[in-house]
Amino acid sequence: MVSFHPDSKFLTDFAAGSLALSEAVCVAAHLEFCGKCRAHVQQLSDVAAQMMARLEPVVEDDDGFDSLMQRIDAAELAPQVSAPRVTRPALASSGIPYVVEKLAGGSLQALNWVKLGGSLRIAPMDVGCSRRQTAIYDIKAGRPMPEHEHRGEEITVLLKGSFSDADGKYVRGDFVVRHAGERHQPTATLDTDCICLVSLEQPVKPSSWWYRLMEPFVQYRLSGFNY
Amino acid sequence: MSTNKITVIVDALTGIHVDNNDDMDSVATQLTRSTVPDAWAENVRLVAVKRDRAAFQLLYKHFTPLIRAFLLKSMGSGANRAEAEEITQEVLIKVWNKAASFNPAKASVNTWIFTIARNTRIDFIRRNDRNNREIDIEDIWHEAESPEPLVDMQQRRAEQVIKQAMATLPEEQVQVLYKAFMEGKSHNEVAEELGLPLGTVKSRIRLALNKMQILIDR
Repeated sequence: MVSFHPDSKFLTDFAAGSLALSEAVCVAAHLEFCGKCRAHVQQLSDVAAQMMARLEPVVEDDDGFDSLMQRIDAAELAPQVSAPRVTRPALASSGIPYVVEKLAGGSLQALNWVKLGGSLRIAPMDVGCSRRQTAIYDIKAGRPMPEHEHRGEEITVLLKGSFSDADGKYVRGDFVVRHAGERHQPTATLDTDCICLVSLEQPVKPSSWWYRLMEPFVQYRLSGFNY
Repeated sequence: MSTNKITVIVDALTGIHVDNNDDMDSVATQLTRSTVPDAWAENVRLVAVKRDRAAFQLLYKHFTPLIRAFLLKSMGSGANRAEAEEITQEVLIKVWNKAASFNPAKASVNTWIFTIARNTRIDFIRRNDRNNREIDIEDIWHEAESPEPLVDMQQRRAEQVIKQAMATLPEEQVQVLYKAFMEGKSHNEVAEELGLPLGTVKSRIRLALNKMQILIDR
């Protein structure tokens, strides 16, 4: 049962379309697990639509309807019925959110995985977002990740398995936000590997993508953390 | 809650007057059928099924000036009027092409057209972002189908509540909602522009949403 959800800020910015792509992918992945949040996003879109309906209309003198129809006719070979409604299943058959599989190129296995010691592997994911980094983490069943501190906000959406840290246990579909300065050490639960979608806020200081992604782990290796 | 009280609420929210207090089933039926009479749904249906140009022209006449107004406000300083016009046309072409995907049980035509305009705007901003990753915005902001019809029904009812509550919101709440939804600004951008703490922007939006019965508990 999903019990950690995006807050009103995430859902509002998502519905308004102002959320950075990396964060939006996290919200979209959560929505595939959570009917309640889907309903909220729908209501927020209703709010936006009501506001649009109340805008002062901007009317152009020239009625462009004919030229619009010419464009439509040029694109259509013959008058036809419009494409039928396609109902997309909430989750792909693998149980991973459709949005994640699609952006990963069809399957998580298609990503470039990098092993970080024996318990963790990470695959960066390009979602076309320059403001944040996006990656899939795969933590071995029962194994802890190195304790790490966040320089910026980190969003984690659990795609498979579960993990726990000092604050609680998180299951499939949970949307967990950690803020800058918070420390934690997630541990995958015993029965199954834990797969997460992670979005990290870009550090203010310029540093390489890879360095930033691995920095917490590299630091632990240097300080003698044993994988 | 007494039946009387329910009757009053039903009256207030929907304008449906219930004569027979005992027959709440019939109220439920009336609610589903006529909570939000959506005058435009039939036009979209005719476009979908018959490629009806007259029906489409009526949609065009009503919605084009609103879509244009929304895009001029929300496309940001990077967009000029010609670009806003081009995106407006793109939105209308999608309305024509996607008419069959409109689901009247789930949303009003208003909301459906807003989401098309919103997605087209996100795509425009992305294309200008010099990012070469090809992304279909609809994979992220797609119209999720709700599996439970009951939820759909509640959503349609909620839309009426939103409409009526919006008229009663204080100015400072309308202002932040307007910036978020019509100008397409994030919470952070609204806070920065108004010189308010992020928490204040968040709580104003939450208060407004609560009045519209959108109860996001976090």
